[in-house]
Amino acid sequence: MKKLTILLMIVGFGHITYGQTYNNFETDSVTAPEPFKPSKTQFMIRGYGHTGLNFMNTEGEKESSYVGSAFAPIFLFKHSDRLMFEAELEFGLENNELEVGLEYADVMYILNKNMTVRAGKFLLPFGTFMERLHPAWINRLPTRPLGFGHDGIAPASGIGVELRGAFDLGGPKLNYAVYSTNGPRLKDGSVEPEEAGMLMFQNFEDNNNSKAFGGRIGLLPFADSSTEIGFSSYSTSKVGTTDSEYENVGVFLYAIDFAFIKQIPAISGFIDIKGQYNNSDIDDATYTEVHEDGDEEEYTFDNKSNSFYAQLSYRPTMASSDFMKKLELVGRYSNLNTPEGAEWEERSDQYAFSLNYWLTWRSVIKVAYQTTDSVGGHDGGGTANGFFIHWAIGF
Amino acid sequence: MKTIHKILVVAVVIFTTGGMIVGCSSTKNAYTAATDVQDEFKIEKSGAQMWGEACNRCHLAPSPADYNDTDWSTIALHMRVRANLAENEIAKIETFLKSAN
Ligand code: HEC
Repeated sequence: MKKLTILLMIVGFGHITYGQTYNNFETDSVTAPEPFKPSKTQFMIRGYGHTGLNFMNTEGEKESSYVGSAFAPIFLFKHSDRLMFEAELEFGLENNELEVGLEYADVMYILNKNMTVRAGKFLLPFGTFMERLHPAWINRLPTRPLGFGHDGIAPASGIGVELRGAFDLGGPKLNYAVYSTNGPRLKDGSVEPEEAGMLMFQNFEDNNNSKAFGGRIGLLPFADSSTEIGFSSYSTSKVGTTDSEYENVGVFLYAIDFAFIKQIPAISGFIDIKGQYNNSDIDDATYTEVHEDGDEEEYTFDNKSNSFYAQLSYRPTMASSDFMKKLELVGRYSNLNTPEGAEWEERSDQYAFSLNYWLTWRSVIKVAYQTTDSVGGHDGGGTANGFFIHWAIGF
Repeated sequence: MKTIHKILVVAVVIFTTGGMIVGCSSTKNAYTAATDVQDEFKIEKSGAQMWGEACNRCHLAPSPADYNDTDWSTIALHMRVRANLAENEIAKIETFLKSAN
C-alpha cells in the first residue's frame, strides 16, 4: 500500500513537473516578441444612418414629422484577396412600425483581372442610381428621383448571378456587368386592382421558369475618369405566374446613364452632373376592373412607362473660407410617365433643390425644398411641396 | 418582345463566353509585356491623382487617415467590385491609401 502511495505520488508529481515544463515552453513561445501579423480573414461592420425633419404641403394639407432614424448596417467579410461576402440590413421606421429589409447579401469572387462573379441578392447595375448613388450619405438630396423606390419602374436588386469587370484601354476605361435573376412578377390586379399591370421586382422565389437577363456597359472616355456614359437593359420573356393567363407577358427595360465630375479651377470647385433615363415596356394584357356594384369590366392599355432625372451640383472646394469649402448647392429635375389608361396612370414633374453642408466626406446635413406637380397617381395628383432638413452619416 | 429578349439572351451568352476566352487566354507573360511597354512610353499617373479622380465619382473621396491598412484592403476589394474599377487603377490607389494614412 505504502509502495503504491509512493508510486502514485511519483507519478503525480512527475506529471505536474512535466506539465509545468510543457506549459512554460508553450507560454514562452507565445509571448516571444513578434511583430503584429494581420490576419487574412478580415471583417468590417459599416453602413449608414440618417434622420431628419420633413414638412409636407400636399394641396393645402400640411404635415410635419421628425423622420428616419434609418439604420443600415453593412457587413463585409473578406476571406482572401479574391473572395468576399457583403450584406446590408436596413432598419427603418415606417407607418409606425419597425421595418427590416435585407437590401443585399452576396458573395463575390475575382476570377481574373477583368472578371468578377457575384451571386446572391445584389443591387442591380440597371443605370447607376440604385447601385451607386442611393445611400443617404451619397445621395445629394434627401429624396430619390421619381421612378425609383416604392412603385418605381426601375429594378433595384435581384437574386441571381452576375459577371462583371473592367478594362483599362490605356486611358479610357470600359466596364461591364451581365446578370441573370429571378426577374419581376406581374401584378395582375387580383390583390391590388389599382396596380394591375405594374411590375413587382421583389421575387424571392421565382413564380415561373423564365429568368430575367440584363446587363450594363459603361464607358469612361477620358483618362481622368471624369465622364461616364452607361447603357443598361433588362428583359424577361415571362413575368406572369406559370399556368396563369398572364404567364407569357414579356418585359423589356432599358436605361441610359450619364455622369460628369470634375474640379474646375475657373469656377473654384467641383461640378457634378448625374442623370438617368429609364424606359419600361411590358406586353399588353387584359385586366379586370370590378365596379362598386359588382359588375366586371375588362380593360387593356399600352403598358409603357418612362422616367428621367438630371442633377447638377457645385461644391466650392477651392474657396478661401473653410465654411464655403464644405458647402454644396444641388438642383435636380425628375419626371415620371406611367401608361395612359392604367389605374396607376401618372404624369409627374419634380424639382428639388438643396443646400448641403459636408461635415466630413461621409457626413452631410441637407436643407432641401422639393415641389412635385402630378396628374393622376396614387394621391390623385396635384401639387406637393416639401421642406426637409436631413442629416446623413456613413460609417 | 420575345425577339428582343432572345437577342438579348444571345448577346449575353456571346459576351460571357467571349469574355471568358479573352480573360482566361491572356497569359501572365503577355500581360506583363504589355504593361512594360506602357510604362516606357507613358508617364504613369500617381496613385494619389487616381484617388482624387476615381474616388470622387460617386461619393466624396475618403481621407486616407480614416482607415488602417487592413481596412483599406477590405474597402479596396469592396470598391473594386462595386464601382467596377480596373485592376491596375485600384491597386495603385490602394497602395497610395496605405502609404498616406
Ligand atoms: C461607382 C461608384 C463608386 C466609386 C467610383 C467609388 N465608390 Fe466607394 N462607395 C460606393 C458606394 C455605392 C458605397 C456604399 C456601399 C454600400 O453602402 O453598399 C461606397 C462606400 C465606400 C466606403 C465605405 C466603406 C465600404 O467599403 O462600403 C469607402 C471607404 C469607399 N467607398 C471608398 C472608396 C474609394 C477609396 C474609392 C476609389 C477607389 C471609391 N470608394 C470609389 C460607390 C463608389
